[in-house]
Amino acid sequence: MHESQLLHFAAHRLQEVALLIMATVYTIRLIWLFRFKAGGDRQGRTGRFSTSPQKGALYSLANIAMPWAMESTRTKPVFWIQFALFHLGVTAAITLSFVIPYAPSVLNNGLVVFGFQAFIGAACLIGCYRMYRRISDKTMRAISAPDDYFSLALLTVWFAFGVLAAPNDISNGEGIMITFFMLTAFFLIYVPFSKIGHYLYYPITRYYLGRSLGYRGVFPIQKSVKPQKVAH
Amino acid sequence: MATQVRSHKAQKVLDRLSKKLNRQMVGSMIACVHCGMCTESCHYVQTNPDDPTYAPAYKADQIRKIFKRHHDWMGRVFPWWVHAKTILTDEDLEELKDIAFGKCTNCRRCTINCPMGVDFATVNRMVRGLLVHVGVMPEGVSVVSKDQWEIGNQMGVLKEDYIDTIEWMEEELQDELEDPEAKIPIDKPDCDIVYTINPREVKYDPRTIADAAKIFYYAGANWTMASEGWDMTNFGLFSGDDDLGGTVAKRVYEKVQELNGKMLVISECGHGYRSTRCEGPNWGGVTLPFDSESSVDTMLRYIKEGKIKVDKTKNSTPVTFHDSCNNARSCGLYEEPRELLNLVCSDFREMYPNRAENYCCTGGGGAMSMGEYTPRRLKSAEVKANQLRETGAKIVITSCHNCVDGLNDLIKHYKLDMGVTQLVNLVAEALVPPEKAVPAQEPKAAATLKGYKILVVDDEPDTLTYLTTVLEDNEATTLQAADGATGIELAKKEKPDLITLDISMPGMDGGEVFARLREDPETRMIPVCIVSGKPELRGLIYDKPHRPPEGYLDKPVEEETLVLNARKILELARKQN
Ligand code: SF4
Ligand code: SF4
Repeated sequence: MHESQLLHFAAHRLQEVALLIMATVYTIRLIWLFRFKAGGDRQGRTGRFSTSPQKGALYSLANIAMPWAMESTRTKPVFWIQFALFHLGVTAAITLSFVIPYAPSVLNNGLVVFGFQAFIGAACLIGCYRMYRRISDKTMRAISAPDDYFSLALLTVWFAFGVLAAPNDISNGEGIMITFFMLTAFFLIYVPFSKIGHYLYYPITRYYLGRSLGYRGVFPIQKSVKPQKVAH
Repeated sequence: MATQVRSHKAQKVLDRLSKKLNRQMVGSMIACVHCGMCTESCHYVQTNPDDPTYAPAYKADQIRKIFKRHHDWMGRVFPWWVHAKTILTDEDLEELKDIAFGKCTNCRRCTINCPMGVDFATVNRMVRGLLVHVGVMPEGVSVVSKDQWEIGNQMGVLKEDYIDTIEWMEEELQDELEDPEAKIPIDKPDCDIVYTINPREVKYDPRTIADAAKIFYYAGANWTMASEGWDMTNFGLFSGDDDLGGTVAKRVYEKVQELNGKMLVISECGHGYRSTRCEGPNWGGVTLPFDSESSVDTMLRYIKEGKIKVDKTKNSTPVTFHDSCNNARSCGLYEEPRELLNLVCSDFREMYPNRAENYCCTGGGGAMSMGEYTPRRLKSAEVKANQLRETGAKIVITSCHNCVDGLNDLIKHYKLDMGVTQLVNLVAEALVPPEKAVPAQEPKAAATLKGYKILVVDDEPDTLTYLTTVLEDNEATTLQAADGATGIELAKKEKPDLITLDISMPGMDGGEVFARLREDPETRMIPVCIVSGKPELRGLIYDKPHRPPEGYLDKPVEEETLVLNARKILELARKQN
């Protein structure tokens, strides 16, 4: 079965334009950010000599892949697993948006399709839970702006269409595929203006924090040592 | 529609914000994803679980919204979408003040728990600086900053008092070591070490100076203290005022250079160490031609190099260690104090969490000088109190004078059965005298308070009895007053040599009594030593336009400390007369 012109446009040209816009806006954003001067350390190094600015920066950047590193993730492993699955879902959905138009034969393999659906579906469920948490938890509500709700809702709906689009089957109509690609394009254009753009800033904030705390002997963090004897 | 005009102060804050932003700061402004992971890392949140305004991300957002409104594209075009908002009035600034000073101790615990690397504590410090720039700050911050700008140290210690205290400690040292050659040198050029201290040591805890001197003496160190630029603390760290920070740090550096010192040693103080060792060169824009280190490193090195010998069995009481946030989370100084502790005491118990993950003493970020936030501070201190209680230790050691005050306060509030001390005291206690220094003759009898008349003014019967008993045991003659009015009456009638005065008393409080004593020509010259369990009330005394009290002691006060301080005050008064 052949795709319509609309679907072809949504899967190809629309994506290319959206990617171009995203790249342009990101470039402008990075130029803006790098025009602010970076602070530095003039003093001599402190702390353990087994660490260094380079080690600190590396540790800091890899931090998110080490759930044991921070107390906040160490003490909430379920939260970290959610985080990991959610971001794997994003990666899978983006990959899917390239696979469908450029390598559709990959999806002839049922296992591959199932893999995509599993990751994206899990992310969709987590998105629902995160929305529930953001709405029901007093503190989360207090720190949430419309952008936070919208970005999460956008991703969750996009995941849902990703699950449906993964088989790349238009025998029952193109609605799902067109919606998936439209959402993908919107997502790409909206990302740099929203909180979803955080992945662009992540390496920058973590690099500078790690460099400084590495220089000062704090990063890599020495985890708290559990006391041997605790008297009551 | 009428447009609200922005107040002059609000406009100045916005103007200065543009100048203060650097890449790291902007990163922290734009990278927060509002995931809430940092929420529980904050001691304020843990003790106020139902109040979301304590959440680090919420507090950061109150600052972030201004940044977004003026510097971020979405915030400029669709402010409501990202909760961007400007500041217009002085009331807006007051709200910011409440957050920046009253709801955060800049402890940086949320920073190390944020997956995005958002450094809220640094942002919060910047906001403090913006507010201070337009005069919006807690009274205490203003008073302390003024002292540090004008007098050169943050407790307003006058040069003559500083020198007197050093000389007094030198005499103590000579007595204790029975060596008239034991010195606390001042302004000695070309030394290996220039030792800088916290003015709190001069004012409330001179024992730490004598203990450090004893360690240097045993180590045979070529060291000196400085007559100027001796205060290594720096209120610029707390007030966010980089200009003050740079000026204060440079005073210290310039003195070390003037004396041609090889190494600047910073006595135990978290914010002093961070300011003088780490941030000072950045604030002051200078590169130091000499080395610097914490006295913790110095003491550890002396032991490792065999310059001093210690006997850990001399410190057998169970102790635990509290990491100062500035030392541990901003300077990586957390293994060295532990190594030292294990060498000088026999029963060290870790509290949990520890090292860079330890909780704030809740007196950090200058909180001890902001009396208006004391109830909040003490409530948030429950986290620390629980940590301390869990250890079963009888003494908590900390390498920070600020933490000493914060911990003392919470220990009293939560009725914990423990004391607070510093490593320098433990090391001095554990010192094994070198062979040649072992005295052959009988130790001299300790000096007493014989011949002195001391008036004790305190409304708590137990304290009154305790203080008078200690003083009488040391041969002083005592008078007692259970309220302020009686105290004044007795002071006029009996003309005591010294008055110890409580602050918190029903009826006429200690601040009022102090003012009346100072105003009355008959009692004006009588030395007063404040003995109070409420450090947050210090303002009642120190904010008065009178000569400050001759001494200040925190309750509960140990016998040795009371007698030592009473003697110091009486001897100084005698010299001055
Ligand atoms: S953990 Fe970091 S990103 Fe998450 S809410 Fe806190 S500051 Fe923001
Ligand atoms: S810096 Fe400390 S006190 Fe301030 S919000 Fe973060 S955890 Fe709380």
